[in-house]
Order: sequence, then structure tokens, then C-alpha cells
Amino acid sequence: MVKPPHAVVRCFAAIALLLAASSVCAEGDGASAKLLRSTSDHTKFKVLQQDFASGPEVTRACLTCHTEAAKQLRLTQHWRWEYLNPDGRRLGKQNVINNFCTSVASNYAYCTTCHIGYGWRDASFDFNVDENVDCLVCHDTTGNYRKAPGFAGQVVTKDTEFPPGSGNLVKGVKLRPIAQEVAKTSRDTCGACHFYGGGGDGVKHGDLDSSLASPDRDLDVHMDALGNNFTCATCHMTQGHQVPGSRYAPTAVDRGSARLRGKHYKTNPTTCQACHGQTPHKPAVAKLNDHTDRIACQTCHVPAYARGGVATKTSWDWSTAGMMTADRKPMVRKDAKGRVVYTAAKGTFGLAENVIPEYVWFNGKVTYTLLGDRVEKGPLPTRISHFEGSADDGASMIWPVKVFRGKQAYDPVNKTLAVLHMAGTDDTAFWANFNWEKAVAVGMASVGAPFSGTVDFVETESMWPITHMVAPAKKALGCADCHAARGRLDKVSGVYIPGRPGDHAAWLELIGAALVVLALAGAAIHGVARLLASRRRKG
Amino acid sequence: MTNRMLHLVAISALGLGLQALDAQAAGSDWKRGRVYYQRVCTECHTAKAGGAIAPNGRTMAEWTAYLNADKHAKGKEPLKKYVSREYRASVKATNKAAEKYLEVPEDQLFEDIKAFMLKGAKDGDSPASCS
Repeated sequence: MVKPPHAVVRCFAAIALLLAASSVCAEGDGASAKLLRSTSDHTKFKVLQQDFASGPEVTRACLTCHTEAAKQLRLTQHWRWEYLNPDGRRLGKQNVINNFCTSVASNYAYCTTCHIGYGWRDASFDFNVDENVDCLVCHDTTGNYRKAPGFAGQVVTKDTEFPPGSGNLVKGVKLRPIAQEVAKTSRDTCGACHFYGGGGDGVKHGDLDSSLASPDRDLDVHMDALGNNFTCATCHMTQGHQVPGSRYAPTAVDRGSARLRGKHYKTNPTTCQACHGQTPHKPAVAKLNDHTDRIACQTCHVPAYARGGVATKTSWDWSTAGMMTADRKPMVRKDAKGRVVYTAAKGTFGLAENVIPEYVWFNGKVTYTLLGDRVEKGPLPTRISHFEGSADDGASMIWPVKVFRGKQAYDPVNKTLAVLHMAGTDDTAFWANFNWEKAVAVGMASVGAPFSGTVDFVETESMWPITHMVAPAKKALGCADCHAARGRLDKVSGVYIPGRPGDHAAWLELIGAALVVLALAGAAIHGVARLLASRRRKG
Repeated sequence: MTNRMLHLVAISALGLGLQALDAQAAGSDWKRGRVYYQRVCTECHTAKAGGAIAPNGRTMAEWTAYLNADKHAKGKEPLKKYVSREYRASVKATNKAAEKYLEVPEDQLFEDIKAFMLKGAKDGDSPASCS
């Protein structure tokens, strides 16, 4: 055998070493990055090396290591869908009626698609069973975990025709690879529910939709996928699975300073002030810091919502639902952009992008119209949820809000909002038979509420805080957006805004002008007198 | 160093290198692929080629065939040209995704994009539109 020349071998070895080194570096971009994200490689856990037939099986496996996780979860609003308001009223999805799809009651199997649990099919759901907690819905990293409507939050693991006989196939989810890739939550996992509140992408909130899964800087300066790349949990700093920052417990005013690392706080970490403090603006624009005591940061820094190309619903008229085509099929209408603006199942929608918020004084208190509260049909809409506050209560700031206007079913005899049984394949479900009386009768019975048998429709309003989709400073509102005629804060009362026509006081301005003229005249007379006196002395 | 030792070093290093490359292929990052697809591919298609192409517009088999064929613009140029470092360098001044991912190995980035497209395909695990 001929030996290779020494130099060639050296050269070959050097190239091979370089290749290995470069590959290891390159790997640092993929595998090493993954290594740095977690101390655990879940693919190596024996308990996860199995094919799971159901969600609860996965949870049982998770709990073999994360022994206290389900107990933590069971203490959360995410689990209970219930919040005890300071006024003693029970809120949360379980209890409120909104003017989107209205209520969870009697529609559990569909609404609980977004519950962080398995099997909440009716009011008898057992909240004390650990294995009913759904770990994957928050900790999936593959983007492949999903729960189909109608299965009460259960994940479908085998291809299933649903509803039976419909020809519609729900694809089974392979749980093993998902369970082996779990990690911290992400915008995708939180967004799987929160982007789709109200029954579709961007429908409810307006400042939360699928465009925030991978946003650019203009859409959200914090979540910018190529920049800060914040996850939801970066601000909603979670401890023991308790996620702060719920809209049921809003912080309208935060007078605190920016948080220090390592220091423990009992206050809400999701406020802007929790990072930026009370004087966030640079010296060159320090005048803006004079606004921070009365104006929420979001008022200027979220100049519009639904900015990511996904329209949000602005109105919903249930009273028009139920229209059929000539061949007796449920009617569907779309607008010029191909967006659905009417369905027989849901009625008529208003849709909009780049929506300018409305502005209100907000002190953190929200009043609700709940089931059983008296509702009067009159010239003003019923306030389903309303932000309280005023200029002179010493506890309010001016906030941007989405006001969602609806027209929804109520009982005109008992004068209460109606619980609708909408979803399902049974004869009483509105989406199956389009009969209001049947749907409301079953819905009201499900919560033990009286129903007269008559259905009418009442105009309603709900308020939603606008706080996501924070634009870069250069795209925030400028002075002239408010300090001008017909500015953003034109309808906000109780505050003096220079430049706003309504804030002019003619008599005060006359006095001011007179003082200016007198001052100038006095200075002129004084100057002339000094000049004359000087000449006289010289003369 | 003797020839024998050099041989050993060379073979070990090559093995290590190939192993690392395998690991890269296995560890694709679909989220990075999504960003590149949206910010580079889609932006250019929207501006210059008549509109965006959603992953859920094709099946996994169709996307696999398209990606394996490595043909862009009806075969006038290789698809991988638009994932190459040279291309990223050429547009980095105006494209933040190209700038941020400039140092990502071409094969790795291609696998990332592929992972996003296949999972987002019409019959993929998570069909995806352009948003």
C-alpha cells in the first residue's frame, strides 16, 4: 500500500477538523440553542416514550415529574373560568354574558375547546381531577397541538368524523412527539385561545390576533419576532402557574417605579410602568412625562388596533340571524374583501382593521350586567361591561378602549339577558334549528333562570382594554393628535387640553391677551423713558 | 504527529462533523422558518410576484416535490438561491430577517422553512395561511 504524503494527510486532517469545528458552531444555532433553553430533554424520558391515546394520559405522564403542577393549575382563573369581583359578584367566563357568542352555559362542549382542561362537557365537570388538566395546550412547541370544537376540550387522537354523518373529518393529533417537545409557553400557545376569543381570529379583543404570533416591530415593539421577541409571559410574569394581568382584575393606574430584578413585588407586573417607570420619555421630549399622571401609556402608544392585517369585529347583530337562501340553506354573506359579514347562525357583523380606539376615564373598576340583572330596552344600550372612572376621582387615567356594540337576545317579560343554547346537533340548538324560543328556553333552564317564552333583542355595549400592539415611539401619537380640534380626546371631559376648541374660555383669553399687551406697553414705555433720560443727561 | 495519528484525528473529526450536520437537519426550527417565509419569501412575492403564497395552498407532497426540485421562477433559477447567505447579504440592508439570520447555515435555514411549510400545508399538522 502506498503511504499518502505526509503533507497531504496533514492537509486532510486540517480540513476535517475545520469541518467538524464549523459544524459544531453551526449546530450551536440549532441543537445547542435548544440545549440552552432547557435542562431537560423530554425525548429521553421513558414515560414519554409511548403512544398516548388521550390527553389525560399525557397529563398523568407529566405529573410523574411535575408533581405539583396540576394542583397549581387548579387554583387559577384559567382553570376555573371564575373570578370573584371586589364587589362580591362572580365573574369569569363561567358567569358573565357577553355580546359575542354570549355565554358558556349550555354550550360547554364547544366553548371549552379553549379550556386548559379535558372533558368540561357540562356543569358537572370535576375541577378536582389532576389528569383533567391539559399541559400541552400551553407547553406545546411544535405548533401541532389543537383541540377541535365540540369535544369539550378533549384532544382528538384518531381521525374522527364530526359531527357524525357530516362528512367533516377532524384529524387526529399525534401526542407523543408533542409531549416530547414541551417547553415554556409562547405567543403561539397563548394565542391558540386568546387570539381567537369571540369565535374567530381577532374577533373579540382587537389588540390580540394571529398577526402577533410573528409580528414585526411596527405591529408590536415588544413582541417583534426579529427584535425583542417577547413572549406573553415576559410581561405576564407567571409564578406557580398564576398568570397576572387578567382583564377581570385590571390595573388602570400604576404609580410605582420600574421593578428591580430580584426584588419581590405584590403589584401587577404587566403594567407599562412596571418596566418603564413614571418618567419614561427621554430629556429631548421630557414634556411628555408631564402626561403620565393622567394618560395611560397605551393611549399614545397604541394608536390603533387590529393593525396586523386581521380584521376585528366591531358590532354583532344577533337579531338578523336565521335567514335562509331560496333553496333553504343557511345564508352567508361576504364583503368586498371576502370577509364574512353575515351568517344565518350568528347574524350580521361589522368588521374593521386599523381601528382608532375610543377613550375613557378608567379607575380599574368594571361594572357588568349579569344574568338576572334588570335590562330595559330604551334609547341607550345596555352596558354589558363598562369601565368606571372620572377626571376628578383621583384614581383614573384616560385609557383607549374597544367598545363593542351588539344587539342580542333578552327576555322582554322578565327583563333579563338571555342564555342561548347555540351549539350542538340537538333539535334545541340554535345553530341546528334557528329557533330562538327553543334555544333560549334550553339555555335559561341550564342555569336555572326563569324564561317567559318570549324573545326580543336589545342593544348592548361592552368595553375591552386596548393594551397590546404597542407601536414604536416614532409611530405613537403626536401632540397634534390630541391638542387640536376634533382630536383623539375630543370627547373626554373633565380635563383641560390646550388646543381643544371646547377648552377655550374667551374671558380668560381676553385677560391673558390684555396682560401681554400691557406688559409689552410697559416695557416699551420704560425703554423710551430710559432713552430720553439718557439723552438729557448727555445733553 | 505520525501519519497514523493524523489519520485517526481526520476520521474522528469527519465523523464528528457529519454527526453534527445530521443533528442540524433533525433540529429544524419551524418558527424561524415562519419568520423567513413571511418576511423574505412572502414580502418579495407580494411586492414583485403578484401576491403571497400560503403554505395551506398546497399539500405536503406538493411542497416536498417543489422543495426537492429546487426550481424557482419556473425553473429559471434554483430555489435555494433565495436562502443562500449571498442572497441574504444582498438584501440585508432592507430586510431585517435576512440580516438577523445572515449567519444561519443555508441547509439549516432551508430545513427550517421546509418544516414550516410542511406543517402548514393543506394536509399538514397545522395548516397555515400567510398571517
